[in-house]
Amino acid sequence: MDYEKVLFAFFIVLALTLNFGFFLGEIDNPAHHDAAELGAALAVSLIATIMKFGDRSQMGALLLATSLVADLQLIVAAVYWAYAANISADGVTSEVIVTVVSLSGGALLANLVSVVLLVSESIVIRR
Amino acid sequence: MNDVIWLTVRRLRTPLILLISVYFISSSLLVAVPGMDEAGNPVHLSYLEAAYFIAFLSTTIGLGEIPYPFTGAQRFLVFFLIFPNVVAWLYSIGVILGLFLDDQFRATLNRNVFRRRVSRFTEPFFLMCGFGNTGSELARGLMKRGFQLTVIEQDPELVHRRQTEVDFSHLALLAGDTTEQSVLADAGLHRENCIGVIAVTNDNHANLTIAITTKLLRPGVPVYARSQDGRVGDNMRSFGTDVVVDPYVIFAQRLDLALNSPTKYLVQDWLISVPGTKLREALTPPSGHWVVCGGGRFGLRMVQTLEKNDQEYTLVDVRKDRVADCEHGVVGRGTEAPTLQAAGIEEAVGVIAGTGDDIDNLSIIITAKESTRNKKLFVIGRQEQRQNDELFEASGAHLVARPNWIVARSILASATTPGLSKFLNYLIHADEDFARRVEHKLSRCLGGVAPVVWSTELSGTYARGLSAARQEGIEVRLESFLHNTRSGQNEDLRCVCLMLKRGAQELMMPSLELSVIEGDILLFAGRSSAQREVAHALTDPILLLDYATPQRIPRTAIGRFVDRRLRGRKVKSDPAEQQQDPEQDPGSEP
Repeated sequence: MDYEKVLFAFFIVLALTLNFGFFLGEIDNPAHHDAAELGAALAVSLIATIMKFGDRSQMGALLLATSLVADLQLIVAAVYWAYAANISADGVTSEVIVTVVSLSGGALLANLVSVVLLVSESIVIRR
Repeated sequence: MNDVIWLTVRRLRTPLILLISVYFISSSLLVAVPGMDEAGNPVHLSYLEAAYFIAFLSTTIGLGEIPYPFTGAQRFLVFFLIFPNVVAWLYSIGVILGLFLDDQFRATLNRNVFRRRVSRFTEPFFLMCGFGNTGSELARGLMKRGFQLTVIEQDPELVHRRQTEVDFSHLALLAGDTTEQSVLADAGLHRENCIGVIAVTNDNHANLTIAITTKLLRPGVPVYARSQDGRVGDNMRSFGTDVVVDPYVIFAQRLDLALNSPTKYLVQDWLISVPGTKLREALTPPSGHWVVCGGGRFGLRMVQTLEKNDQEYTLVDVRKDRVADCEHGVVGRGTEAPTLQAAGIEEAVGVIAGTGDDIDNLSIIITAKESTRNKKLFVIGRQEQRQNDELFEASGAHLVARPNWIVARSILASATTPGLSKFLNYLIHADEDFARRVEHKLSRCLGGVAPVVWSTELSGTYARGLSAARQEGIEVRLESFLHNTRSGQNEDLRCVCLMLKRGAQELMMPSLELSVIEGDILLFAGRSSAQREVAHALTDPILLLDYATPQRIPRTAIGRFVDRRLRGRKVKSDPAEQQQDPEQDPGSEP
C-alpha cells in the first residue's frame, strides 16, 4: 500500500464530502449551512490542490485544473460570506446564502469531476 | 520558466499543507471558544476575526487581543496555538529561503534567464565555450568590435568571478557543462544567427567534443578551436574544423619567420597587434648558440624551429628523459647559474625561457642576463599568466610568448576579419620585395601606432555610392574613396588596402587605380579615423561621386534634377562648346 496515494485520495475525497455536506439543505436557509463546514471545505480543497502540484502527467494536469476551479469557487463564496457578515450593513440575508451555496455547488461539481478522474485512473491501472 | 515553477511547488508542498492545516484548525478552535464583550455577554469571535487574529499571531506581529480582551479560556487556547503556528511559519519561510539558496534551484533559474536572453538575440552572435584567460581576452575583443556573444564555462566559481568584472556585467554567461548538447543548444547553437562556435576551454578533449558536436548538428557554422596537442588538432581538422589554433605551433612559426625574414615578421606583428598600441620595432634574432630552458611542448617546438634554421642550441631541463633525445642537453634547473653556464650561456646569442612556470622563466631570464658576457643577449620568454604582464615587460625580454593571448588574437582575427589570415598566409610565402612594400606603406600611414584591420564588403549600404556612380556612368577606383572626404582636400586617408577579393579572385595590395565593383570585399589596415571616413564615403553616394569625378554634385533631389536638365540642355544645344571648354563647371548649385 502506497502511503502517499492514500493521503492523496483521502484529501480529494474529503474535499468532495465536506463540500457536499455544506451544500446539503435548503438553499436559502442560513441554519442549514454552517460556516465552519465551508471553511473546512476550503482548507481541504487548498491542501488537495497543493498535493496535486508537481505531477506533470496529463492526468495530473486535469486534476490540478479541477482543484483550482473548486478553490476559486469556494474562495469567492467564503469572501462573499465574510463580507456580508462583517462589512455589509444588511448582514447575512437569505440572498447571500443563496449565492454562497450556489457557488459551493459549482465547487462541488468540480470536486466530483476530480473524484471521477481519480477513480477512473485507478480502474485503468487495475486493468 | 516551467522548470522553476515545478521545482518550487514540489519543494513547497509540505510546508504549504502544514500551514493551511494549522491555520484552519487554529481559527476554528478560536471561534469555538466563547469570549466576552464589554457588557459581560458571552460572544463568539467571527471567522473573519479569528482568521485575522491567527494571521498576526502566527507571524509574531501580535497586535493585541481583538475585538474584546480575551477571557481566561481564550488565553489558555491561544497559548497552545502560538507554538504550532509560529513553528509552521518559520518552517515554511525556512524552506522558501532554502530553496532560493539552493545551488540546483539557482542553476535552473540562471539557465532559464540565460536561455531567454539568448533566444532574444536578433543580431549575429558567437557561441564561446571556455572563459579562462583566453576566453576573456577574446570576449573583450569581440565585444569591442560590436559582436554579441554567448559564453558557457564549466567552472561556476570562475563564472561568478567574471560576472563581477565591469566588462562582462551584461554578457550572456552560463555555468554549465560545455560538452553537453542541451547546454550548447541553450547557448544558441541551433539559432540561425549563430555565426560561429569558439572552443577555447583548457581541456583539449572538451574542445574536440564541442567541435564535433557543432560540425554534426550545424555543419554550416564555422568552428574555431584551441588545441595544444598535435594529435587532437589533426583530429579536429579531419572533420572540417575551420580554424584550429595551437599557440605553441603559432609561436614557433613566428620565431621561424623572425629568424628568416625580419621584415615579414614585423609586418605580421603590426597587423595582429592590439589596435592603438605602440608598434614593435624591427627585431633581428641573432644567429649562433642558443640556450633553451624547458623541454615541454613549447620547448620542443622552439628546438625544432632552431634546428630548422641551422642554429646551435643546448636544451636545459630537469627531466633526464627530455634531454636524452637531444644532441646537446644539460640536466638541471635553468634558474641556477651553474646549469646555465654548463649550457654555454657565456657565449650564447640567445636564451629561451620556456618552462611552464612564469616565475621560473623570469628567474631564468635574469640569471641568464647576469651570467652572460654577451651584452646583446636575445631573450625569449614564455608567459602563462596574464597578471605577470608588467614583470615580463620589465624583464626586458625581446619576445614574449603568451599562449592565451596568441590563441585569442588568432581566433579573433580569423573570426572577425577572415581576409587577414589569408593575407598573412600570402605574406609569409611571398618574396621579400612584397613584404618590404607592405612595410613601407604601412609605416608611412600608421605613425607608430598599431592599426585597426577591417574588411568591408561592397554590398547593401556600402554599395549605395557605387550603384549611384554606375547610374551616372562613372568608374569608381580605390583612390576615389581613399582620401579625406571631410576636408575636401586631396589628403590621403591613413590606411592601406591590403587585399581585394572579387569572387574567387584575391588581389594582394591592389593598386589605387584599380576600379571597384559591387560585391568586392576589401581588407584595410589603418587608423580607426580612416575606417570611419571610408565607411562615410561608401555609404554616401553624393560624396563618393564628388570625389570620383572632378565635378560637384548637388545634395538635394531638386538640385540634381535641375543640374541634370542644365547639363542635358548644354550638351544638346552646344556640344562643341562643352568640348572646347572642359574647365568650366558644368553643374551649378541651386
